Amino acid sequence: MARVTEVGASGEIALEVRPRARSVPTARQRAWRRNLTGYLFIAPWLFAFLSFTAIPISASAFLAFTNYNVLSSSLNWIAFDNFSTMYQDQRFWRAVRATFLYAFTAVPLKLIFALGLAMLLNNARRGVYAYRAAYYAPSIVGASVAVAVVWREMFGKQGPINGVLGALGLPVTAWLGDPATAIWTVILLAVWEFGSPMLIFLAGLRQIPQEFYEAAAIDGAGVWRRFRSITLPLLTPLIFFNLVLQMIFGFTVFTAPFIISGGSGAPLDSVLLYSLYLYQKGFRDFQMGYAAAMAWVLLLVVACFTALIFRSSSSWVHYEADTEARQ
Amino acid sequence: MRRDSVLGWQSLLAVVALLVAACSSPAAAPAPPAAAPTTAPAAAQPTTAPAAAQPTTAPAAATGDKVELRFAWWGSQDRHNRTIKVIELFQQQHPNISITYEFAGFTDYFTKMATYATGGNLPDLMQQDYATITQWNANGLLLPMDDYVNDNTINLKDVPKGSIDGGRINGKLIALNLGNNSQAMMLDVDAFQKAGIPLPPTTWTWDDFEKIATDIHTKLGINGGGANLDDIQMWKSLYLAYGEWGFSADGKGLGYTDDQKFVDYLKMLMRLQDSGAITNQQDEIASFRAGNVEALPIVSGKAAMQFLWSNQLVAAWTAAGDNRHFKLTMLPRPKDGKQAENYPKPSQFISITKGSKHPKEAAMFIDFMTNNIDANKILLGERGVPISPVVADAIKPLLTPAQVETQDYLGIVSKEASPLPPPDPAAQTNLGNNIYLPQLIDPVLLKQTPPEAAVAQYRKDATALLAAP
Repeated sequence: MARVTEVGASGEIALEVRPRARSVPTARQRAWRRNLTGYLFIAPWLFAFLSFTAIPISASAFLAFTNYNVLSSSLNWIAFDNFSTMYQDQRFWRAVRATFLYAFTAVPLKLIFALGLAMLLNNARRGVYAYRAAYYAPSIVGASVAVAVVWREMFGKQGPINGVLGALGLPVTAWLGDPATAIWTVILLAVWEFGSPMLIFLAGLRQIPQEFYEAAAIDGAGVWRRFRSITLPLLTPLIFFNLVLQMIFGFTVFTAPFIISGGSGAPLDSVLLYSLYLYQKGFRDFQMGYAAAMAWVLLLVVACFTALIFRSSSSWVHYEADTEARQ
Repeated sequence: MRRDSVLGWQSLLAVVALLVAACSSPAAAPAPPAAAPTTAPAAAQPTTAPAAAQPTTAPAAATGDKVELRFAWWGSQDRHNRTIKVIELFQQQHPNISITYEFAGFTDYFTKMATYATGGNLPDLMQQDYATITQWNANGLLLPMDDYVNDNTINLKDVPKGSIDGGRINGKLIALNLGNNSQAMMLDVDAFQKAGIPLPPTTWTWDDFEKIATDIHTKLGINGGGANLDDIQMWKSLYLAYGEWGFSADGKGLGYTDDQKFVDYLKMLMRLQDSGAITNQQDEIASFRAGNVEALPIVSGKAAMQFLWSNQLVAAWTAAGDNRHFKLTMLPRPKDGKQAENYPKPSQFISITKGSKHPKEAAMFIDFMTNNIDANKILLGERGVPISPVVADAIKPLLTPAQVETQDYLGIVSKEASPLPPPDPAAQTNLGNNIYLPQLIDPVLLKQTPPEAAVAQYRKDATALLAAP
């Protein structure tokens, strides 16, 4: 605290500065104390974030440029060697191909089913709640190991699917052994879990005012026209949301291909999805540096696709706020 | 309206019940990859124990300096049960030592161990394989046991040198043989009788095998030759019959020059698959790659022959039932081969890891497993024929027909087999997983690539992989 001791003839002021009493906090100290409670609240999350997310990700960014092999204690910097090996690695490209096939089939199919069923279930008929729960249930247990194991057994040579087909006199095949069919069982598993995008679409459908449909019907629009001109445009924000989410899932899925192919990606690497190959390289062959490099390539690819979707969104996503503003 | 809300509550209850029952995280949150192997049971293997993520402890006595050891192994459920009993017996006899154990199926085991290795907390005792000791030793993870052998903590006075040397690298004993083993062709005696075909001699050839498999298939309509004939072991052993080996002596390249012999072998497999005399490749991939002995076709009577390792006979026979009759014989050899494809292989090893705080107690346990008669009366040679002849004789009266057959078979093998080849190079698992199966075997046997081209490419890829530092 400063105290005025004298005032000079031309107005200068002499100040005596005494050290402030300890118990009175400065503005900065006050702010810190206010935030301390906040920091304490988020401390557990912060600790977990740092130890399980931030630090491992940074470590992996470093490892991608080394030839870290889990068992040995030495670590060599090899710059971009991992990436050039990746470029020449046949199985890597097969993994890329399988993942693209999976992502570009499973995601659209899943969203189409989700939307279709959401529209069917968007009514107040009796028992519709039970149906909604039933269709949502698979996606709760969907990403789990248990369902993948069951799926694998179902499509096994002696499994129930072949049992039913045999009883109907239809041809029976080793679904998981035939390179042409194995990947479709995995895609089918993904599409079967359409429950959560379905619920999101359902919520979106509920928000579309009925007046639009009534008005359109009066003007003579048929079901398809109403769908195309009212439902779809108003759902585009949710389609956008679901698309981004499902696309990320499509590129990074691991449990299903791992269990269904027994960890090998067989037959002929048709089920060798990217994360599975990454896992094989890192945890089976212990080439962690290479696996880390693969992980960053995946991150870049997914980031590119996400950016693409975001960029294009301004042309096809209609937010209601915009529409109202334009009116 | 009212009915709807009742239904609504019921549905809500159903969803909540499912939520509680499910243990998965939503798809948007990627689970760390290390979590997956410990929760994923080996698929389609109801009898194999899932990777036990929770190690269990038996109580330690209150007296003496308490020592805690950890022991990890892989195997079938039968092996797990027996080993646990042996651990309990050891703990009774050594009240101050308590052993925490964990076990897994073979495919998950080394993933788990490698994760421990990274974290620096390997178990004191671990099971090892001939294919992996080179790599693990090269990374300095295994402790040489010579001191404990010399001061008789581990008593190997009765054991023939040949059974011990498999675990020596550069003269140091880093892994002790837990039982002798060899490749075998398991024969269903009843099927052979029904088809009126005599059992083959140990010197039979692959041409004989082809003929027998086809005959059995024609006469009985079942799979004649079984599954797993595309295993990487078959490739290595084929060249052993010519006095060579899959790998060169220094492990940096291939050990043979004539690719045509393996091409001929593959062509034979294709002929047999086309006629239905052996498992077709799609079924092989879908059902029989996982290594689950109890699920093999011969167990359920769907095949008359099956390639396996001699220490798998017990599990297979137990699963097939006591009323069946099986016999083991040596692998067929190529017509122009000069020696057997078989060799006496240490089935598994047990090693002390470098970081163990109680290596002496660990060595005591190894001695217990090797020499203690009561312990071996429990194990009954499940991992392989005991290396100590004293122990092998002591347990003979207790053996079931399956175990007697295994032991007798090893007796024959020790007389007629080729000498033990050097341990597989460190790159062998990489070779098997990334090149042999997906780029050679499956494309050829699924008729996507002609065998000559695939084998030539395999030579290039394998040489490049093995030569890498």
